[in-house]
Amino acid sequence: MSDKKEIIEIKHLGKTFGKNEVLKDINFSIKEGDVTCIIGASGSGKSTMLRCINLLETPTSGEILFKGNDITKEKNVAAYRAKVGMCFQSFNLFSNMTALKNCMVGPMKVLKKSKQEAEQDALFFLTKVGMAPFIKAKPKQLSGGQQQRVAIARALAMHPDVLLFDEPTSALDPQMVGEVLEVMKTLAKEGLTMIIVTHEMAFARDVSNHVVYMQDGVIWEEGTPQEIFGDPQRQETKDFLSRFINM
Amino acid sequence: MNSFLLAGSLPPDFFGRILFILKNYGVSMAKGAGTTLLIAIVGTLIGCVIGFIVGLIQTIPVNPNDSVGKKILLKIVNIILKIYVEVFRGTPMMVQAMFLHYGAMLLLNLHMDMWTSAFVIVSINTGAYMAETVRGGIFSVPLSQTEGAKAIGMNHVQTMLNVILPQALRNIMPQIGNNLIINIKDTCVLSCIGVVELFFTSKSVAGTYYTYFETFTITMVMYLIMTLFFSWLLRFFEKRMDGPAEYDLATTDTLAYTSGTLSDPRKDFVDDRHLSDTSRTGEDNLNNTRR
Repeated sequence: MSDKKEIIEIKHLGKTFGKNEVLKDINFSIKEGDVTCIIGASGSGKSTMLRCINLLETPTSGEILFKGNDITKEKNVAAYRAKVGMCFQSFNLFSNMTALKNCMVGPMKVLKKSKQEAEQDALFFLTKVGMAPFIKAKPKQLSGGQQQRVAIARALAMHPDVLLFDEPTSALDPQMVGEVLEVMKTLAKEGLTMIIVTHEMAFARDVSNHVVYMQDGVIWEEGTPQEIFGDPQRQETKDFLSRFINM
Repeated sequence: MNSFLLAGSLPPDFFGRILFILKNYGVSMAKGAGTTLLIAIVGTLIGCVIGFIVGLIQTIPVNPNDSVGKKILLKIVNIILKIYVEVFRGTPMMVQAMFLHYGAMLLLNLHMDMWTSAFVIVSINTGAYMAETVRGGIFSVPLSQTEGAKAIGMNHVQTMLNVILPQALRNIMPQIGNNLIINIKDTCVLSCIGVVELFFTSKSVAGTYYTYFETFTITMVMYLIMTLFFSWLLRFFEKRMDGPAEYDLATTDTLAYTSGTLSDPRKDFVDDRHLSDTSRTGEDNLNNTRR
């Protein structure tokens, strides 16, 4: 693992909303091919941190290095975002487009691919997430799990260097959670770099190789799944994990 | 018989007089209605374009990383647009018509003919209303749509054109319809600068025989027919924009295998199809299967 290059380095990241300090001096790094799960209670700043990485939130202080460049000072934010995919808790599919068009519009408009190329690519990824039969459906005609799988295909169609997941299964019922996690497992096996904010402890334990525990805007503990789930060092981590008895 | 001729050969009963007016002045009234429609439709269309441009500029987000020049320029442009919207929303169109038609002549020595004046006035008046409507329409699209677009690397213009505006347009269609219908009715104020539209024609016809009630009964019906027709037409467009309520599964569609990365169980069959139309895009295929 040590021979892999660091793709994202977060240094002294801070974020405040008014007087509310949401993130305090966050430091950690992601290597290429890492599957990082960020766990912690709601309101601990997990999602805010993920959104800072994609610059959907502007960090108040600190640096985020993407392949060595500080992207918090980046002028062309759109070009950076094109390399960092994101899947949302509420899917955020474009409701005016079919599933196929959702996956084509980014490659066509942002990457300037031809319609044919974009379509082939979109179909490849939609097939991969098992959504090929539904290419003509509009988002509102699909179930939550199906929408999330299309959203993953949409992100993949941009050929991102890193894929961010913001609680991708929190709005889904157990069966749909399964189908989305299945897709994410496949991606992890293929070596895609992923940062996943999740409450699915079993997934974090079995699929990731890097787990970060956050509480009150601070990283309390990080390490391999074996370290965090098997032998947590901090009392806070133990308390949090003790609530997931059946994992 | 004699009195009948003295009254300018007007029939004695109400419906008879209506028929008489229709027979003698129906064509000029229809022409007036045509003028009304032309001004209303063109004015609404240009007004929509103005409204979209103004509404779009007003919703450009300011990023902390933007240069000072861009921030100042945006601020100035926004103030000008705000003044435009408030002035033309806050004064009667009839007054605007007088002000612009005669004002342009005196102040700018610009002699606009009645048609130009009419189109300009209805357009900028509608534009002022539409600007606010478009702003509302853009805000009506959930923020999650903007975030989804940003997350795949779209810039502001791409996000607006591909994701936000198509949805905003659908949401403000009822209001656009409202504006068109208001314009059909309100073009009658342009008679004050001499535009010969339906109201102007009706007034002339009514004055000739002193048949105000009869003539304006016809005028009422004509306006009503026009507005009813366009409210129906716009409803029809709205339904078209919503698209089909159902979708077809593409399980048996060869399209699912065009990526060429998967082996298709019906390979021979598919290959035949593909040889004959390799240049076809997937969308054509989709349409074909639907037909």
